[in-house]
Amino acid sequence: MIASVGTAALTAGLLPLRSDITPLSKGFGYLPVVVAAAAIGGLGPGVLASFAGFVTFNFFFLPPYDTFVIGRGEYVVVLFVFLGLSLLISALLARLAERAEAAEAREHELRALQTLSAELVALVPGPEGYESLTSNLIETFGFTSAALFVQDPGSRELREQVAVGCEPGTTPLHREPDPTKRPLEHLPLSVGARVLGLLVLQGDRDPVTPAESRVLRAFCDQFALALERDRLLRSATEAEVYRQSDQVRRSLLAAVSHDLRSPLAAIKASVTDLLGDGIQRNPDVVREALQSIDNEADRLNALIANLLDMSRIEGGMLRAQLEGVDLAEVLSTCVDRIRLQYPELEVKVSMDDASVVRADPVFLDRICTNLLENAAKVASAEAGSVEVEARAADTTTTIRVIDHGAGVPHSVREQLFYPFFRMSERQPRLGTGLGLAISKGFLDLMNGEIWIEDTPGGGATFAFSLPSVSVVAG
Amino acid sequence: MKPSRILVVDDEDHIRAAVGRALDARGYLVEQASDGDAALTVASTFEPDLVVLDLNMPVLNGLEFTRILRTRSSVPILVLSVREDATDKVAALDLGADDYLTKPFSIDELMARVRALLRRASATGPRSLQFASDDVVIDLDAHLVTRAGDEVRLTRTEWNLLEALSEHPGKLLTHRWLLERVWGEGYADDVEVLRVFISQLRRKIEKEPGRPKIIGTDPGVGYRWLLRPAGEEPVS
Repeated sequence: MIASVGTAALTAGLLPLRSDITPLSKGFGYLPVVVAAAAIGGLGPGVLASFAGFVTFNFFFLPPYDTFVIGRGEYVVVLFVFLGLSLLISALLARLAERAEAAEAREHELRALQTLSAELVALVPGPEGYESLTSNLIETFGFTSAALFVQDPGSRELREQVAVGCEPGTTPLHREPDPTKRPLEHLPLSVGARVLGLLVLQGDRDPVTPAESRVLRAFCDQFALALERDRLLRSATEAEVYRQSDQVRRSLLAAVSHDLRSPLAAIKASVTDLLGDGIQRNPDVVREALQSIDNEADRLNALIANLLDMSRIEGGMLRAQLEGVDLAEVLSTCVDRIRLQYPELEVKVSMDDASVVRADPVFLDRICTNLLENAAKVASAEAGSVEVEARAADTTTTIRVIDHGAGVPHSVREQLFYPFFRMSERQPRLGTGLGLAISKGFLDLMNGEIWIEDTPGGGATFAFSLPSVSVVAG
Repeated sequence: MKPSRILVVDDEDHIRAAVGRALDARGYLVEQASDGDAALTVASTFEPDLVVLDLNMPVLNGLEFTRILRTRSSVPILVLSVREDATDKVAALDLGADDYLTKPFSIDELMARVRALLRRASATGPRSLQFASDDVVIDLDAHLVTRAGDEVRLTRTEWNLLEALSEHPGKLLTHRWLLERVWGEGYADDVEVLRVFISQLRRKIEKEPGRPKIIGTDPGVGYRWLLRPAGEEPVS
């Protein structure tokens, strides 16, 4: 383009003046055209401009004019010097332009890599982080879709984790043998000899250039390191979780064995005492010993039942049979039982009429009994009273068991519902250490909640709520 | 004879009551306390001949109780513990408790330990320096051990160990106590050294070193001199 137009324009411009200027100077006039063509268009246009200049110079400006015949020997030399010079300039300029272009491409390459690396460093482990990274990658390189396969830690197989710009599961893991389809870019993500993943890129674009390929490979190496980092981090976290749960299990085991062994020790001591020969005994004392054995056997049995419930709750094997339960009925049964157990205890009940809650009646009974027993123990230690109240709100009914003991500090209110939690090592455990944990477990199964409040004037209030059932009159 | 006075300290009501009943039925005078604090108060007025002590207690636990009681009294202490409290048990013995029993225990075992501790505490007069077992005769005074009439040569350390053990017949001596006593402070944790010397000593004085009758082992806790001086029957 530049070569032909420039040559034609110059020729037209110089033509009227051709008699006034020496032929040699006119020849130099074509050189800027050649330089311009080569600088802008590269080697091809430069060479074209050289030859166009060579021909037109000869035809129009070397006497005899308007023929290809060359009049004088020195003109032949001038003509070929012009041609040689033009070609040389074209070649040099073209090489320069190429270099500049390569430098620019390289800079672009580095910038792309830098952007992606920065993203890799800040990568949030998991599908979301990988997805945003992958979409940036295909945008940078002009692909339309990509799929990321990551090695499954268990089976060590590659699984598709991210699909951008295409339906999940449609990207083939292996190279398509079908030549009619557009070739895919398969980029392994590996650290050392271990393949951690595979990136498959697809799109309507020219085949990847060597420069781009270099960037992609460098990116993949870094991506693989990021994957490895995430994997190690995950396994470290898992190890930490395992260590902690192991610790919990050990302290649970210690608590369980202590709690099981205490009643057992009392039973064994009493029995071996009674078995002793030749000892004069008061019948009342014998009866007392037998009574103690009976009580401790019951305690052991209750503890085992609680342990079983706890493990059923934790194992997800317990299901609530939800039905409309008359709260007054359950509460009065539990209160009667506690009054029988603690004859000196004063229990006050206050509740709305006809409160019906959606609950499992057996679970509800266990929860109420449990809270009442705890409160009764606190009250009998402090010679106090216990109040029970039930209040229905719009959708839930809240039951409160109120004692006037020492109360529960805020710092341990959550932990109090952990199995075998004790407020302090120094404090004797009141029950089996499982009652509150089981109550919480039951309430979780019944869409209820349990929490601890301060009793006005001192003491603890254990409150739990259950969904109300609206009773339609008539 | 005046009945021996025993203080039973345990926070578990049923165990305390059972132990109390059993001791009472066997003619001992019993007082009870449900924590270390109360026990210290009772001990100062009741003046027990023996304390049966649970380690795992609220308010003032067995270890703290032992430490305080030892500053004012040398009354024998029998520690009750569950197996999980192994380190506490050793700590209690190091603090001056005399023996231990693991829960659950039978009353017969308890009574055997109680009798042994009371007898040892009431033993008065000059300490016996002669022991005999099968054909082995140990005479601490003459600094001589003979086996079937032949002299058994003991090294200096072996002698010191023998003396330390025989000084408290029947009493459970912890590794730490023996090590500090024989080797000196700073050796308290060198249980391996102690084990080597015990085994050397046994080879020299026991008839069957694999089934010792003179130096008994309480695994993980310590050793016990099983011989009773002059004509008494062996301890458990």
